[in-house]
Amino acid sequence: MSVVGAGVIWVALLGPVIVLLDHISGSAIASALTQPGALQPVVTSLESGLVTLGVLALICTPLSWMLARGKLPFPRVWEAGVLCSLLLPPLVIGLLLVFMVGPYTPIGEILTDLHQNATNTFLALVIAEVYESAPYYLLGAQAAFASVDPRLEEQAGLLGDRPRRVFRRVTLPLAAPGLAMSLAIAWARAMGAFGAVIIIAYHPYGIPLEIYTTLQETGLPSALPYALVLLVVALPLPLAAYIWSARAARRRRG
Amino acid sequence: MLHADVEVDRREFTVRATLQVAPGERLALFGPSGAGKTTLLETIAGLVQPRRGLISVNDRVLTSTDPPVRAVPSWQRRVGLLRQNPGLFPHLSVRDNLRYAPSVPRSGNEMSSLASVLGIGDLLSAMPARLSGGQAHRVALGRLLLAHCDVLLLDEPYTGLDASLRRTLTDLVSTLVAERGVPAMLVTHELGDAQAFADRLAVLDHGELLQVGAPNDVVLRPASRRVAELIGYLGFVPVGDTQAGVHPERVIAGAFGDRGLVLAGVITACRPAGAGWEADLRVGESAITCRLADKPSAADGEFTVTVLDPPYFGPDGSALPDAPVEGAGQMGARSGLWRAP
Repeated sequence: MSVVGAGVIWVALLGPVIVLLDHISGSAIASALTQPGALQPVVTSLESGLVTLGVLALICTPLSWMLARGKLPFPRVWEAGVLCSLLLPPLVIGLLLVFMVGPYTPIGEILTDLHQNATNTFLALVIAEVYESAPYYLLGAQAAFASVDPRLEEQAGLLGDRPRRVFRRVTLPLAAPGLAMSLAIAWARAMGAFGAVIIIAYHPYGIPLEIYTTLQETGLPSALPYALVLLVVALPLPLAAYIWSARAARRRRG
Repeated sequence: MLHADVEVDRREFTVRATLQVAPGERLALFGPSGAGKTTLLETIAGLVQPRRGLISVNDRVLTSTDPPVRAVPSWQRRVGLLRQNPGLFPHLSVRDNLRYAPSVPRSGNEMSSLASVLGIGDLLSAMPARLSGGQAHRVALGRLLLAHCDVLLLDEPYTGLDASLRRTLTDLVSTLVAERGVPAMLVTHELGDAQAFADRLAVLDHGELLQVGAPNDVVLRPASRRVAELIGYLGFVPVGDTQAGVHPERVIAGAFGDRGLVLAGVITACRPAGAGWEADLRVGESAITCRLADKPSAADGEFTVTVLDPPYFGPDGSALPDAPVEGAGQMGARSGLWRAP
C-alpha cells in the first residue's frame, strides 16, 4: 500500500477531528472557556483520569501478570469475566453500578459509614471511569506481560535474583512499553467515559458531561469547544507513552 | 562435590540417576534427544521438582524429598545453568548483562579480563540485539562465570557454533572449572563435545543412566549394546552366540589377526567421507560400515577388514568382559579370520 493509500485511510479516520477543527472558531473557544467555572470540568476530568490510572496500575497490573503467567486456575474463566465487563455497554455498567454501590446497597451503606457516597461525587466519577477502562488496561497489560520470555525470568532467578527482584529488573522493564500503551488506552477511555458516568456521576462534571449539558442547554456551537479541549488535555499522556515505547524499542535494537 | 540421586517423573518415563561430580571435575551427560538430560539438569537447578531424591552441593542440601524435606528455590541454589538459548536480557547492554548477578564482584577487573578472554571486550556497550549468535553465547557464558556459582550446568550450550569457537569455549570452561574447583556438567548429544570437555562420560537413555566412566572406556568398552549404538557403533556381527560391535572408525583394511576381529565381506557401497572413504560391507547376514583411509579395491569381490579390539555383547545385550573363545573352530577367538556361514 502506498503512502497515498495510507493517507486516505488516515484522513478518513480523522474525519470527525477535521470537521471539529472546521466548525469551531477561535472566538467561540475563547468565549466558552472564559465563562466562570469553565475550566472546572477540565480539572475534574484530569484529576479523575489520573486517579483512575493509579487505581488501574495498582490493582490490575498484578492481576494481569498472574493471568499472563498462568498463575490462576481455570484461566479461561478469569478471562471470560474480563471480557464480560468489556462487552457490557457503558450505559448498562452505569445502571448496574447504581445497584452495586448506590445509597441503599450493602456497599453503599459501608460507604455511608465511611462518610462517603458513590452517587454524583468525585468517588462515583472515578468508579465509573475505572469500570469503563479497566478491561482495556487488563487485556493490554496481560499481552505485555505474556510477551516477556519466561526463560529470561528463569535465568535471572538462576543468577540469584529472588522473584520480586526478577519482576523489577527483568519482567517490568521488558513489559513496560506494552504497559505504557495499555495505560494510554485506558486513559483515553477514562477521559471519554460517558455512559456509566452520566448514570452515577452526573456531578461533578467532567469534560464529556460538560459537552453533553452544554449541548442540551445552549446548543452545538458552544459545546464543540469542549471537544477540542478534551483532545488537547487528553492527548499528551498517550502521545508521551507512544514516544517512550518507540524509544525503548530503539534502545533495545542498539 | 555435587551429589544427585533423583527420580523425576516425565510424561513418558521416569528419569532415574545417581551422580557424583567432584570439585573441579567435568562430567558430560550424553544421550539422544528426549533422553531426560535436560530434565536432570533442571532438577539440579531447582526448576523441576523430583518425585523422590536428594541433591546436595558441598554438603548443602538443596533438594530432599525425605525428612527433613527441603526444596531450596532456584535463586538461592547458586547453581548456574547455561542453555542453548543464550537468554541475554534484551533491555540491558552487554556490560549490564555480564554484571547482572548480585554475586558479581563490584571491582569490574574480573569482568574486563574475562570479557577480553571471551573476545567480547569491544562489545560491552552493545545491546544484545546487535550480537551474532556466537557473540551472544560468549556473553551468556561470561555472565554465568561471573556469577561465581557453586555448580556449572551447561545444557548444549555450543549448538550452532562453529568448530573452532566450540573448542575455544570448551577449553576456557575447562580451565576455569579446574581453577575454581567447581563441579561442572555438560549436556550434549555430540560425542566429540563430550570427549573434548569431560573427565567422565555418563550415557543417559530413556531416563536411565546406562554407563558412567572415563570417556575412552565408555567409547571403547560400552557396557551394553544399547550404549554402543548410542556411541556410534553402526554394525553388529554375530560371533558364535555373541555379537561384536563395529564402530566405523575402528576398522582398518587388511587382515591383522593379532589386533582384533578379521572380517571378510562384499562391498555394497562406497563413498568419500571427510579425507577418506566410507564403505558399506556385507558380512554374512550383517551389514557394517567402515571408515577407511584408502578407497577399497575389491577386485576379487571379497574385501577383508580388521575390526580393532571390538567389544562383544552377550545375547542379553550386556557387554562381555573378554572376547568369546567358544566356537573357536569358526573363529580363532580375537584372532584369525572368521567367515560368515
